[in-house]
Amino acid sequence: MTESIEPQQPPMVETPVAGGPSADGSASAPHGVPSTSSGPGRVLVAVYGVFALAATARAGFQIATKLSEAPLAYLLSALSAVVYVAATFALARGGRLARRIAWAACSVELVGVLAVGTLSLLSPQDFPQATVWSVFGQGYGYVPLVLPVLGLLWLRRTRPVPVQVTSH
Amino acid sequence: MILPLALVVVVLAAALAGWAALWAVRDRPVVLNQLWGAAVVEAALLVQLVVAIVAASRGPGPVEHGTFWGYVVASLLILPLAGAWAFAERTRWSSVVLLVAAVTVAFMQWRMLQTWGIS
Repeated sequence: MTESIEPQQPPMVETPVAGGPSADGSASAPHGVPSTSSGPGRVLVAVYGVFALAATARAGFQIATKLSEAPLAYLLSALSAVVYVAATFALARGGRLARRIAWAACSVELVGVLAVGTLSLLSPQDFPQATVWSVFGQGYGYVPLVLPVLGLLWLRRTRPVPVQVTSH
Repeated sequence: MILPLALVVVVLAAALAGWAALWAVRDRPVVLNQLWGAAVVEAALLVQLVVAIVAASRGPGPVEHGTFWGYVVASLLILPLAGAWAFAERTRWSSVVLLVAAVTVAFMQWRMLQTWGIS
């Protein structure tokens, strides 16, 4: 029983790599625009993808079958679907235009979840049917509330460094 | 038949999630064997699809019709898409992607039971 051999290598060098995409350079796309879809961004895109799928299926079904029941809620469902799909593809793609789209999508999403969340609490009669954003995304473990914040933080973290941009 | 099969899928998906979580903790990317594991879960989901179609054609079927079938179709898409997305990333984050996908599949089973009218 000695302390000489450790069964597992402690992950000592991982933290800078895990923390940011620029730490090892491999996450940087050409033209000096850092990738939004590698490292932690990979997970972000995956979670956005799940919500894009869920929101699209939900909104499509609601609008196709019972739009007249709760038009406001279902049109908001459709809006959320568009926003999630846009954010998913924009974050997956990266690049300057895609980053702008992702900024817009995440911002609309944050405003949407805060507005719909508040309204669904204040006047529940306007939201008889749940949307993804009702009660701040309670039905989805509040992930819809956290996701746009993470998205915006991630976009900020991966924003291009001006010096790199001029060098392409 | 719907309930036992859902439990099988949940157990398989949870096993895959645990495997992916272990890999993420150990700072390893997804390996090919994990994609085979995902294929096993996917096979169980396909069996579930067939069983659900047969059960719905013979009995009353799901309580919330559209929602149930939506979950069936969506759950079939998750693992192939997530597997490809995860495998292209060669860091620990690929394992986290697979973990998220497996947990999502397990969660959707619970929603499918609800919309079928069991839980």
